[in-house]
Amino acid sequence: MKFKALVTENGVTLLEKRFLPALEKTGKACHLCLTRDHAMFLHNLLNGDGIQSIAQFRKDALFHDYRISSNNDDRIAFSLDLSLLLRALRSAVAVAASASSSAVPNRLEIKLVKKLPPNSTQSMPFLTLETRGYKSAVIQDIPISKPFSRAHLAELQTALDSAQDLPQTLLQVPDLNQLLNLVDRMKQVGDVVNVFISKHGDLSVQVSTTLISLGAEFRRLVVIGEQTNAPAEDQNLGAHARSTRSISRGDGQSVQVSVKHFAKSLQCHLARPDCAFYGIAPQGSCLTVIFQFFIPGSRQTDKSISLHCRLPVLDSGSG
Amino acid sequence: MSHWVMEEEESPDVICELENVQGLVDALTAVRWKRQQDALLELSEHGIVLIVEESGCLQAKVYLKRELFIRYDYKARGRPRFGVSLGHFVDCLNAFSVPGQISVIQIQYPGSDMQVLLKSVDSLDASICAEIRTRIPDTIAWDYNFEPAGTNPLTFTVKSAALKEAIEDLEWPGSSIQIILQPDPPSVTLRAEGHGDLQIDFMYYVNSELLVAFQCDHRVSFKYKYKFLKATTSNMPASVIKENRGSKLSIGRGGMLKVQHLVSIAKPCVSHQYVDSVGYQQPGRIAHIEFFVKPEESED
Repeated sequence: MKFKALVTENGVTLLEKRFLPALEKTGKACHLCLTRDHAMFLHNLLNGDGIQSIAQFRKDALFHDYRISSNNDDRIAFSLDLSLLLRALRSAVAVAASASSSAVPNRLEIKLVKKLPPNSTQSMPFLTLETRGYKSAVIQDIPISKPFSRAHLAELQTALDSAQDLPQTLLQVPDLNQLLNLVDRMKQVGDVVNVFISKHGDLSVQVSTTLISLGAEFRRLVVIGEQTNAPAEDQNLGAHARSTRSISRGDGQSVQVSVKHFAKSLQCHLARPDCAFYGIAPQGSCLTVIFQFFIPGSRQTDKSISLHCRLPVLDSGSG
Repeated sequence: MSHWVMEEEESPDVICELENVQGLVDALTAVRWKRQQDALLELSEHGIVLIVEESGCLQAKVYLKRELFIRYDYKARGRPRFGVSLGHFVDCLNAFSVPGQISVIQIQYPGSDMQVLLKSVDSLDASICAEIRTRIPDTIAWDYNFEPAGTNPLTFTVKSAALKEAIEDLEWPGSSIQIILQPDPPSVTLRAEGHGDLQIDFMYYVNSELLVAFQCDHRVSFKYKYKFLKATTSNMPASVIKENRGSKLSIGRGGMLKVQHLVSIAKPCVSHQYVDSVGYQQPGRIAHIEFFVKPEESED
């Protein structure tokens, strides 16, 4: 089992400034899955109750000289602590910055190693970052779990496959920051948020307790997938009446998710996506958030990067 | 169905709109000294008064005059009063305050089920709304009848920041604070005895920048519980300090202490900041906050 690659400058920026800070908010513990073509950061795919997040990079979005081999079809997966990886990456960036005056370009190598830790008789697996300057090299070892067995990998792959089903309707959320601000306030009010999504572009989020209800409604959002026109007679109704009618007509659906999970999904704005879409997966099985990234300077989707989250549904609601 | 909806939309007691939600949040936070607090709201044609009370010893009132609102439609007969949880009210209002953005909020009472309804009215396509259940106030809030102690008022005005700092410093020695006013030399003394002694003097002639006004014709001294005194300044909004405002303290009959702060609820507007800096502002854009603290025991 071997893995070795050089992290590109762009890869360092993507991970250090954008993705790792965002993914760390979802959870520190995560699985890193490497294949011949992709590197994936996966959260909570194997344990059911947390927010699932799947960040996938094509190998050339992060690395060059990418070499991987294993008995499991050249796939390697293990779990690691994202905050350690982020810390190591930050210090590698700092080392590179201080050595940047030298003529030799800095190389940041990432590889899997087995080492004998001090005061131990058994060797342990590490993900190692090696920054090589002109005269010195800085090596940082990040402890990781034992690489997954074939059975364990298959289990991860099954979970990954089942996490790919798309909602029929997706709504583009206009301002993640504003919504995050609101959801932060909602956390004070209650633990469960009711999310309503309709095929004509209405999105509402609401937290209710016996004493209080707090919510926001967005109308006329961009719809991707199945869509219908809003009935004219609903235009002047209040938010609650409209969502009730929409659900009974079957062109709207609502689910309940944890406010904390919802806030975490919004924290993904730290990865600086260009668009975010919310949708309810078929049969109301989960609330899906898909982030879209454009090729810098264009409005074209960057297919080498993808990020989406799945929020477990607490109750299938009235939909 | 439409018939029924029409009936329900009978005009509410009050519908008002406010531009600076953060100012309102600041003013209400100033009287929030613990997590669970019940507040009483009283509506009238002059505006809204919010009252909170604790242990029969401390009461605070926030006066939101109708001039603070850009719209104030009042249709009630009598003066409707209702109870809400102050914490819930502030948490909800907070959701409407978007940093760096002016947001107009509409407050309506009552809703179909006697709730307070809050709604943002900036945009048709994105709106925030909240509903807060109200209670029937169980007792009429105990009236802290503040009467002047004699023919001449006993009062002083001190910079709010200095007052807050002084009270914070007095935390260390003990549980009760003595406030002494004396005319000769004109001064105010805050004194605590406990684990140690600490005395803070504001001398009118020495600290005229801190003690901006002083009126007292005979020496008085009263003791107040530290935790109540602290509640009067502990959540003072940052804007009060930034605008270098003063707080007015008066001692009434029986030693009842009144502490008054002014909180600006003006629309955040850059071009008018020079007006704030000299401490003048349209009086309509100020919320008055009053605390009443009963003394522990009288010494005079």
